[in-house]
Amino acid sequence: MPGFDSIETLRAGLTRERYLVDDGLATVVFLALRLKKPLLVEGEPGVGKTELAKTLAAASGAPLIRLQCYEGIDVHHALYDWDYPRQLLQLRAGGSAPLYSMEFLVRRPLLEALEQPGAVLLIDELDRADDEFEAFLLEFLSDFQVTIPEVGVITAKEPPTVIITSNRTRDLHEALKRRCLYHWIDHPGLKREVAIARARLPHVNERLAGQVCAFVQDLRWLDLYRSPGVGETLDWAEAFHVLGRDHIDSATADRTLGTLLKERDDLERVRDQGLDARIQQAEELAVKLEDHRGAPDGRP
Amino acid sequence: MAAHERPQLPPDQQILSAAVTFARSLRAYGMTASVDSELVFIRTLTELDVRDRRQVYWAAHATFVHSPDERPVFDSIFERFWEGRELNLQPRASEHGESDIRSIGPAQGGEALPQYRQEGKERKPALDGAPAKATREMSAPDSDEGAPNDQKGILAAYSPAEQQAQKEKLEYGEDELSAVRRLGEDIKRAAPRRRSRRMRPDNGGSRLDIRRTVRNCLETDGEALRLAYTAQKERPRRLLFLCDVSGSMERYSRVLLGSLKAIVSANTKAEAFVFATQLTRLTRALDGRDLDRALETARGAISDWSGGTRIGSSLQEFNHTYGRRGFARGAIVMVVSDGWDRGDPAVLSAEVRRIQLQAWRLVWINPRPMLVDQQPLAIGMRAAMPYIDDFVPGHDPRAIAGLAPLVGGLGKQRPRRKFVSGEQLKVQVRPLPMHGNEQNPKDRPLPANQWPTAANY
Repeated sequence: MPGFDSIETLRAGLTRERYLVDDGLATVVFLALRLKKPLLVEGEPGVGKTELAKTLAAASGAPLIRLQCYEGIDVHHALYDWDYPRQLLQLRAGGSAPLYSMEFLVRRPLLEALEQPGAVLLIDELDRADDEFEAFLLEFLSDFQVTIPEVGVITAKEPPTVIITSNRTRDLHEALKRRCLYHWIDHPGLKREVAIARARLPHVNERLAGQVCAFVQDLRWLDLYRSPGVGETLDWAEAFHVLGRDHIDSATADRTLGTLLKERDDLERVRDQGLDARIQQAEELAVKLEDHRGAPDGRP
Repeated sequence: MAAHERPQLPPDQQILSAAVTFARSLRAYGMTASVDSELVFIRTLTELDVRDRRQVYWAAHATFVHSPDERPVFDSIFERFWEGRELNLQPRASEHGESDIRSIGPAQGGEALPQYRQEGKERKPALDGAPAKATREMSAPDSDEGAPNDQKGILAAYSPAEQQAQKEKLEYGEDELSAVRRLGEDIKRAAPRRRSRRMRPDNGGSRLDIRRTVRNCLETDGEALRLAYTAQKERPRRLLFLCDVSGSMERYSRVLLGSLKAIVSANTKAEAFVFATQLTRLTRALDGRDLDRALETARGAISDWSGGTRIGSSLQEFNHTYGRRGFARGAIVMVVSDGWDRGDPAVLSAEVRRIQLQAWRLVWINPRPMLVDQQPLAIGMRAAMPYIDDFVPGHDPRAIAGLAPLVGGLGKQRPRRKFVSGEQLKVQVRPLPMHGNEQNPKDRPLPANQWPTAANY
């Protein structure tokens, strides 16, 4: 993996892949790379936890290996398994190759990550796996080697960069947290969210992006049951664009609100409070933001 | 960094000792700063510009903070650390930071810091009908100026009056403690289970275990003569308790706390929350080995024993913090409350509905049902009723001891739910099985026509 020799080069690399990080996240990712420590990221849904790993892999030209956790995941899904059909065929054909050798080994994400030098390993939603798997993972993460009884010990030549995400549906074990660097990703502020929208959706004009972001930022103060994440902001901006709007208007906003809010109670609440006032407020905020920036770039 | 205080050391030594001091003061304020984390922190400093506050902040944050709840404490300590101020392990009670630190924790739905739990010991017991209001008002600053300075950390922020109350303990009797232990055993035995996605070898199972079958083939020359099977494992289903500890529930809280302790220790998946005006998570406090101490700790963690009741907003707090993270999903949720709510009934019914939608089964245990013609009297109770799967009226504090058989009878089958409107109250009243010696007439539940009514309560 091409190293990032400073926080700034790392940030520039991620920005090139259209992922904008703040100081905190940039510092922590840099440290995780340098200290070769797993990074545990938590945050509200939709703040870009998974995206971080994807972008990091892309920025450093490394392969991304993803392990999606779920309840009941075990060694055979995460680490390795044997190719039974081939083993059976081999047995029937009376072949001489040993059945339990590398030839019949099926590599699962964790093993792949050990064998591919410099890979980025994303362990997604670890809180969905159970305690037993977490304990196994602890061992894996501490020395980046695994023992397959029939084959032997497999050690990583170059340990992978590990990003673990969790949605906090249960408390992860303290020992695991101790192994990792920790970061909580917050929703971005208005300026950064606009920048993200502009970077991710270059075809959406600045005015629309500003209005959409200002609107969403305001909603996040409402203490909704499910606050919209950055992903939803992007969806909503895209929705306006697809419908041929270059600014927010209340009719379209009303019809497309479902891309932003996914709970009936939240939808009702926002609609009952009236969209017009919110839209007007968002428009004003977006104008202020543009003026504040001095508009040297980006304006038609 | 506090480095300039020790000019005799070379710079890297200064940084090292500053880092160690920092970690120590984090520990003193109740954060888990392990030696591992300390070493990692020191390593991060070698990769960073140690003059850049933001870089050092985020490095320390990444190594020592493990949850967003810990941030306020961490921030205030880091502030002092960076400013080179005294990392005082005996801060004065009046200082600003301490009251901030004090305010996080259960009040904001977070876990209480260990200190709170410790500290809480000092509050006078407000259980079993003790005049709680008076206890709470006792905390007026007393004499004894010097005392707080002998205390460490935020303990100093508490008034001497509260500290004096320390000596009075909950003092569960030996028979009570053994009853609690027995309840734990019963729950363990009765605990409802759910199917896990994990498989275990079981030749009576239904799914072919190819792995073992291939192994068997080795012995029979490649012929699959002996097939191996697997079956799904079972795991305990999560039990989630939301218990009312407000004034009207006061006489039940003692036995309630004991029961919660028993349940949390018995079932690895159990979660316990209590509320009066706000929500407190008790699971961690109750999880200790030492029964007596766990009960004390838990009692201390509850910030509003016997306050007014706001069931609706407490449940809302649950939904917005823990519920959103999936605590109630697939769980057997038990609300223990008399349904006397001072909040808006509309909020209550909306939040109860939300819990029901996530839960496997929602049980409401009401130790003071106050029924008139089988319908509950309390407004809150009526608001919640349409969204409850099982309504369990109790009749006295012992009702809670009947939990084990009750829990055992649930969870096999998903309840059938009909969505009734708030007007038609179709209540399914489930009699509460009693714990232990049924032959004793005192232990048998009262027949419905003898339940207390509003008039004689």
